[in-house]
Amino acid sequence: MILTPEEVASDLRLEADVAIIGSGAGGGPLARELASEGHRVVVIEEGGYFTRRDFNLRPSEAYMRMYRDAGQTVTLGMPFILLPLGKTVGGTTTVNSGTALRMHRPVLKKWQLAHGLREITEGELDLIYAHLEEYLFVKRADPEVAGKVARTFLAGAERLGLSCGWLPRNAKECEGFGSCVFGCPSGSKQSVDVSFIPDAVAFGADIYTRCRAERILLREGRAVGVSASFLDPVSGRPNGRRLEVGAKVVVLSAGAVSSPFLLLRQGLANSSGQVGKNLQIHPAVQTVALFDEVLGPPRGIPQACYVDEFQGEGIMLEGGTVPPEVHALALPFAGRRHASLMEKYPNMGIFGGMVSESDSRGRVVDLRRAGGRPAMLYNLRGRDVEKAKAAVVLMAEIWFAAGARRVFTPIAGHYELCGPRDLRRLERSRVRASDFYGMSAYHPLGTCRMGGDPEWSVVRHTGETWDVENLFICDGSILPSSPGVNPQLTIMAMAMRIAGFVDEKLSA
Amino acid sequence: MRAFRETGFEELLTAFLGRSSILPPPDPGGQREFLEEYLRAGAPEFPFLYRACLLALRALSLIMKGRPFSRLEEREREDFLNRLLSSRNPLLRGTALLAGMPLYMSYYRRPEVSVPLGFDPQALRDEADLRVVTRDRSLPPREEGKP
Repeated sequence: MILTPEEVASDLRLEADVAIIGSGAGGGPLARELASEGHRVVVIEEGGYFTRRDFNLRPSEAYMRMYRDAGQTVTLGMPFILLPLGKTVGGTTTVNSGTALRMHRPVLKKWQLAHGLREITEGELDLIYAHLEEYLFVKRADPEVAGKVARTFLAGAERLGLSCGWLPRNAKECEGFGSCVFGCPSGSKQSVDVSFIPDAVAFGADIYTRCRAERILLREGRAVGVSASFLDPVSGRPNGRRLEVGAKVVVLSAGAVSSPFLLLRQGLANSSGQVGKNLQIHPAVQTVALFDEVLGPPRGIPQACYVDEFQGEGIMLEGGTVPPEVHALALPFAGRRHASLMEKYPNMGIFGGMVSESDSRGRVVDLRRAGGRPAMLYNLRGRDVEKAKAAVVLMAEIWFAAGARRVFTPIAGHYELCGPRDLRRLERSRVRASDFYGMSAYHPLGTCRMGGDPEWSVVRHTGETWDVENLFICDGSILPSSPGVNPQLTIMAMAMRIAGFVDEKLSA
Repeated sequence: MRAFRETGFEELLTAFLGRSSILPPPDPGGQREFLEEYLRAGAPEFPFLYRACLLALRALSLIMKGRPFSRLEEREREDFLNRLLSSRNPLLRGTALLAGMPLYMSYYRRPEVSVPLGFDPQALRDEADLRVVTRDRSLPPREEGKP
């Protein structure tokens, strides 16, 4: 069952085989796998539960209901980076673009050699990826549905002879409502809330929503349960009722920001000193292009195509379009200039680029913020600044090749490019981290990294922490580095793998 | 929120949004209501930070223009904001960016603004209701995915 705080009249004390904190790309698949094996599974989810009927394609409402801190999560450092995180059943998969890529193969080699993860083999991952792709209906975006913005951008990339194509997505019969990141209104996107979670519930798992895990319960150095508080749906504050789950195994799947934060607050599983460290994100930049013809955004698939010509250097370009209320934020102008550009919204395309493999590392720390919230420290380093600039230049070149009249960039001093001359000026200029206007980032990873040595990793290849028996971690935080692409499929693959080890442990 | 009244909310809206020939004017009442809800929904520090940005705009107007923001001509206000937004100083730019962000959201979320731009969430919602997708394929054998 999926339960809300309104359905819980008093404090609850439950017994389960497994208590899972979080229902996203890690927790959801794990819940399904373990419930299907007959284990009693309880999932504790801080966010609310929404169905496709609740997804009304209005960005601001989605931010307020389904994103942590209404989508206002930022990293502290230079520059400030907006890092939107999902907080709902299904986690960020409910509000992501649905890109379902397998990890970049050289990264796995690095994990094996540099992180001592020889047990994770390419063959094993291939099997799991194939299973997931079938289960999640993964297929390439349909060019007919993708929308004119994506087709135009891709035509520009092809004209320049760049390696590019249509992205594989976990979407079934997508009709391109252009609203993936605000909740798919047709149920097409196979996010965890419409795939793994309903299946887990069908197998007997219970999902407690709007319930915040506060402590992992320990006995004699072993994890034995979770203590949590139910939250008021309006204020988000504890409503006075509590949930305590006694469990043989506890799995922390709250994401790469909340998982280390919970451990840090409790001083758990941190003999290596690595909890919260090694935060990696995918810093992203966007360009807006103005055309003579109508492109008709945001109808289509917001993130339908990619340019991976420079993936080896850690630069990936991936779409996509957004409704006017978010599009307006990408234009660094005020007043009449802003108004006159927004009037041409139908003639505009927007495309994003991310630093898919970065040198910069941040940290999740406890700064004693109000409401017990984590803080993230992150500075964009020189090489990554160069990559972000290179992504902007590349996108501008593609837009011009596609016939754009003007291109708008997020780099101060180069907001408006009217042609190749402006582009060359941008290429020659020295860009600093602080020059980026409104930078965002996605996919936080690495803060409880997996490895072969307890000296410099937090969990084993099985997902179990080195320090606390029966405490597993299963989310993006365990990936030792960025997989070089959007990580949801890789996090799910790790969850499927970890489910096997948890099952073994429970069955022993 | 008091800061909205103190800084001259209407002037601020017009300065950021400009006057459009095809879109309706700002709706200070409705937008203020949204802003208050939006700020409440975020991190506890956000309302304070936002208020600080609005106050910083007033102070910067005095320093850079020699007059309070509310006493600047409409064109001067826009120029002032554009100067901040294009500054290479991240603090100046960030102040204007943060002050403007929720104002843009509160304006363009209104159907009377988004529909003329070609984005009609209600129509899309109705269309989506006609195209409900189900997971109507049986699951693959579990063994395939097991390690």
